[in-house]
This record gives sequence, C-alpha cells and structure tokens, in this order.
Amino acid sequence: MTDNNRNAVLRDCVLSLLLPGLGHIVRGWWRKGLLFWLFLAAQGAVLYLAVLRGRLAWLAGPSEYWFSTMLLLLFFAILWGWALFDLRRLIRARDEESFVQGYWQIVARRFSKDPKGLVGLGIILIVCYVALFAPFISRGNALKMDLVNFLAPPAAEHPLGLDNFGRDVLDRIIFGSRVALGIGAVATLLNMVFGGFLGLIGGYFRGVPDALIMRILEIVNSIPFLVLALLIVSLWGAGIVTLIIVLGIFGLQPARIIRSEVLSVREEDYVLAARAVGAPTLRILTRHVLPNAIASLLVVTTMTIGVNIIVVAGLSFLGFGVRPPTPSWGAMLQEAQEFMRSAWWMAVYPGLCIIITVFGFNILGDSLRDVLDPRLK
Amino acid sequence: MAVVLFGLTVLLFVLLKTMPGDPARIMAGLGATPESIEVIRQRLGLYDPLYVQYWRLISGLFNGQLQAMTYHKPVWTVIVERLPATAELGVAAIILALFISIPAGLLSAIYRNSPLDYGVTTIALMGISIPVFWFALMLMLVLGVILHILPVSGRGETLFGWSFLTVDGLRHLIIPSVALSSVLMALNARLTRASMLEVMRQEYINTARAKGLRERVVLIKHAFRNALAPVVTNIGIQIGTIFAGAVLTETTTAWPGIGRLTVDSILRRDQSVVFGLALFMASCYMISYLLVDLLYAYIDPRITYD
Repeated sequence: MTDNNRNAVLRDCVLSLLLPGLGHIVRGWWRKGLLFWLFLAAQGAVLYLAVLRGRLAWLAGPSEYWFSTMLLLLFFAILWGWALFDLRRLIRARDEESFVQGYWQIVARRFSKDPKGLVGLGIILIVCYVALFAPFISRGNALKMDLVNFLAPPAAEHPLGLDNFGRDVLDRIIFGSRVALGIGAVATLLNMVFGGFLGLIGGYFRGVPDALIMRILEIVNSIPFLVLALLIVSLWGAGIVTLIIVLGIFGLQPARIIRSEVLSVREEDYVLAARAVGAPTLRILTRHVLPNAIASLLVVTTMTIGVNIIVVAGLSFLGFGVRPPTPSWGAMLQEAQEFMRSAWWMAVYPGLCIIITVFGFNILGDSLRDVLDPRLK
Repeated sequence: MAVVLFGLTVLLFVLLKTMPGDPARIMAGLGATPESIEVIRQRLGLYDPLYVQYWRLISGLFNGQLQAMTYHKPVWTVIVERLPATAELGVAAIILALFISIPAGLLSAIYRNSPLDYGVTTIALMGISIPVFWFALMLMLVLGVILHILPVSGRGETLFGWSFLTVDGLRHLIIPSVALSSVLMALNARLTRASMLEVMRQEYINTARAKGLRERVVLIKHAFRNALAPVVTNIGIQIGTIFAGAVLTETTTAWPGIGRLTVDSILRRDQSVVFGLALFMASCYMISYLLVDLLYAYIDPRITYD
C-alpha cells in the first residue's frame, strides 16, 4: 500500500492524470477519490447536455454560450490539476514523520465532520453550478414565449409549467439563479470591502473616527434597510447595477460586527508587541489585526449573501429590482401574484428556490461559526 | 439620538431633492398647462434656497403644513390614518411569535442535541431563509384559494378603525400576521435557545441543582427568568425587521397599512409622504431602542445608567 518509491508515485500520478481521483483510490483515500469522481460526473453531465443541445461554442457564437464553454474547460483543467496536486501533497505529507497541523487544516477536518455545513456547501455548489452553466442546463425557453399554451400546468415537456407568457418556469428559474447569486455575491463583496474598511478603521483607531462611523451607521440603520433600498432604487432607477451598488454601499450591517471583533483583537498582546517593535499601522492592520478577525468575517460574509439574496428578491417582488424580461426569482413571484388562482406553479417554485439557496448560505454560516471559533463550542 | 435624527433628515432631504420627476407636475395631474404647473411650483416654493425648503419640510411635518401631494391632506394625517392597520398587524405578529418561539427555544435548549433540538434549530434556520412575501403568498394560496378557509386579502370590517375587534377583520388579520411573524419567530427561537444555553452554563444554576431543587424549579425559576431578559429586550430592536416585513406582507395581502403606503408613495413619487414615513419609522426605531435600554435596566438590576 504505502510504497513510496519513485515508480509507485509515478504510477499513481499517471493514474491520476488518466482519471482524477483514481490515484487517490489506489492509495486508499476513498472519500477524496469519490469526491473527485463526483465532480467529474457533474462536469461530464454538463458537457453531455452542452453537446446534446449543440451549445458548445469557442469564442464564436452567442457570448453566453462561449462564456460557459470556457468555464467548463477551465473547470476540467482545474479538476485534473487539483487532483494531481492534491495527490502529491498527500503523498509527501505521509512521507514526513511529524505532520504539524495548521489552523486551516484543523478547521477543514472539523468542517468535514459537520453534516450541517456539508449540506449547506453542497446546496451552494449545486446552485453555483446551475448558475454558471445555465445556458447548457436550460432548454432555451427562458425568454421564448408560447402564446398558445400560456399558463400550461406542469407536464413532461415543461416540468414546472409555463407562465403567463408561455415561458418555461424551470428555464426561468435556472437563469434566475444567475441574477440571485450574481447580485448577492458582488453586493456582499462590496459590503465586506466597504463595511470591513469602516469597521476596521473604527475598531482600531477608536476616538473620533469611530464615533463618526458609528453615527453614520446609526443613521443608516435607523430606517429599515428595505425601505432605504426601495427609496434609493426608485431614485436611481431599477437595474442590476443599481441594486449591487445600493446593497453594497448601504448594507453596513457587517461593519458593526467587524468593528466589535477588531475591538477585541486590538487589545491582544501580539498587537501590542507589534506596536512596540515599531511596526507601521498599515502593517499591523493587514498582518496582525485582519487575519485574526477573518473567522468572523467569513461567517458574516456567508450570512450576508443570504440576506442580500432575500432583499433582492423582495425588491424585485415589489417591482423595484431586476427589470421584467430578465428572469429573476423575485420578479417571477411578482408576476405570479396575479395568477394565483389559475397557476400556482408560478408562485411555488421560484419561492422554493429562494428558500433553498438562502437556507444553504445560512446553515453554512452557522456551521462555519461552530467550526472556526472553538470558543463558542 | 437627536444627532442621528438630524443626520437622517439631511440624508433624506438630499435623497429626495435628487428624486427625478417634478413634484409640481405630479400635483397638477394630467393635462395641466405649463402656467398652472408654474403656479404650483411657486406655491410649493421650489425656487427657494435649499435650507428654506429643508426647514419648511421639517416644520411642516409637525405643524401640519406639509401636504401629501397625491392625497391632498397633511402628511401627518395620512400616516396616522394608516397607523392602526400596521400597529395591529405588528402587535399580532409579535404576540404570535413570542407564544411559539419562546417555548420552542426553551425546549430546544433544555433537550440540547436531541432530535427535538435539531428540529427546532433547523426550522428556525428555515424561518430566517423564507422570504416573508412568499410565505404570505403560500398562505393565501393554501388557506384562501384552495381550502377557502380564510379571506385572501384586504382588511375586512373594522370597528373604530381596528379590525381585530370584528370577527371578519380578525379572519383577515390571520394570514398577514402569521406571515410577518415567521421571521420574528425564527429569530426569537434562536435567541431564546442561545440565551438559555448561556444562562445554564452559569454557576448559580449548579448551585441551585446542588441545593437539591427540583429540575423544573431550576430551569423555570432560575434559568428561564434570566434567559428571558435579552429576548424581551430584543423585540424592541426588531422593530426595523417588523417595518420591513410589513412593507412586504402588506403589499402582498393588500393590507392598507404603513408598509403599503410606503410602496405606493414611492411609486407615485410623493416625496413628502416618503419623507414623513421614513422619519416616522426611524423615530419608532429609536424610541423603542431607548425604551429597551430603560427596560433592560429595570429587568436586570445589575445595570445602572448614570
């Protein structure tokens, strides 16, 4: 089993190159090997669908086709490369007698034993997959209208039914995942950069900047965020870019959490030591304070994505979000409202998608909190 | 608090001034001549310096001079007329949420890591993930459209402006309040559980057990009472969540309250009502925040304010 001579290692690497995960399985790392195979199967399924529908495109053709094609190829490359790299790393790690575990390795091992987090991660990965390869997975009826069969109930050729314009609900849901995840992720990124910056400055320097930042936070927080977002979106005009900017800049909730985290980190001895040896403030912030606040930052990020998806859905539901022809879950629910009596499928399925996606982010965040912060255990 | 309110009014004023659409034209209605629009513009004082306009907006809100553009009534009256609807919706949602979430969180904490605990925590996480408006839609679909048990939308009969005083109004109240309470329920159940677990780690719980008190007495009299304080006080902070939820549920179920008024006014570009509403919600939030602080000191004698 554990023959580590040159030939055996070479053989396993070749096996891994032939089929990612094979090398792991030969060496007895079953779970990891099967994980690679699962990934491979998902990739294969998407490739099969793409070929079946004739939507593989290389730089020519509709941009959304070649974007997904390139991503698919990139993912294949990552899969192969990662399997090989991981195999080498594991073999080397086994070679070394003492194997010191870092913080992130401990976290990863704890995470792999937490069913809650794994379920959440699984949900998110599936939704991401669907969003990235939407043109391959959908059957292309997201915008195509069928004015003869409009409001047709779920049937074999359109599993989730047709909406009031005869558009396929399933296809619209598939494309809607792009809007939800895209806006949610980019807005959260902005939240983290912006809110994180404010929290860091306020928490570290205290005094006047802190008071100023806290007052701004209080002002923004005193009106319900949804109402503020409604107001601003109505001023600037609905649209994806506006939504991202509004959510990104005014969603300042993370700043408060990061500030409190930084407030406690800055009192630690290592920060004092860094200051004593004369490290510049920027260095202390980036090398000492930020890495130690990263655990709560990760948890907040995950949770914020879920919140942002719900807010976007709510805004779209009220008619202030994504503009109508673009499929988005919230806007689909708004359209469904009129046809409640005749077409329940228009209302039920987009909502279920919102719940499942947001639930995924929430349980992942919950589990990350348990895993990253042993103090809370 | 005063600083925050002032900052908020300035922020809102700046936002409203950048709002596209000419308020005078909206007030004049369709088919107005340029001359009449000009007259209205003069009357609204849109040519005055900004600080004069700002002062007029603020003072007008309190002395009733500020008119809602589309209702032809003072803004204050428009808001107060809609207030009972949202108040009863919010109170009903809070009561419902507390009645379900506190026992659920309590049991979940007592039987920690049992199937019951997993069930409660999972449902609570689910509750946070469910969009309020979708939940309202589903309740309308199942209870109203399919089963015909409850009326689908509207407020029903009212007595003295309150619908919970009549049977019909009460039936109308069920769907929106249940929908609105779903988020509150989930939040409070999680909070109760966390707070209860925190308290049960304290030493006086061990002391009480060591004294030989019955488990029920330890849990209810010693632990639960102390665990309740953060939960109760948190309700005040959740008022923002309630308003945001009310915006969505009221729009979904055609409940004529403040939330629906907000959406309508934004759609109609009725700046003065939007301004009044935002200020009203912020004031409610701050007042409840203050009350919570005071209440906290009352519940927990260890805390004193100078």
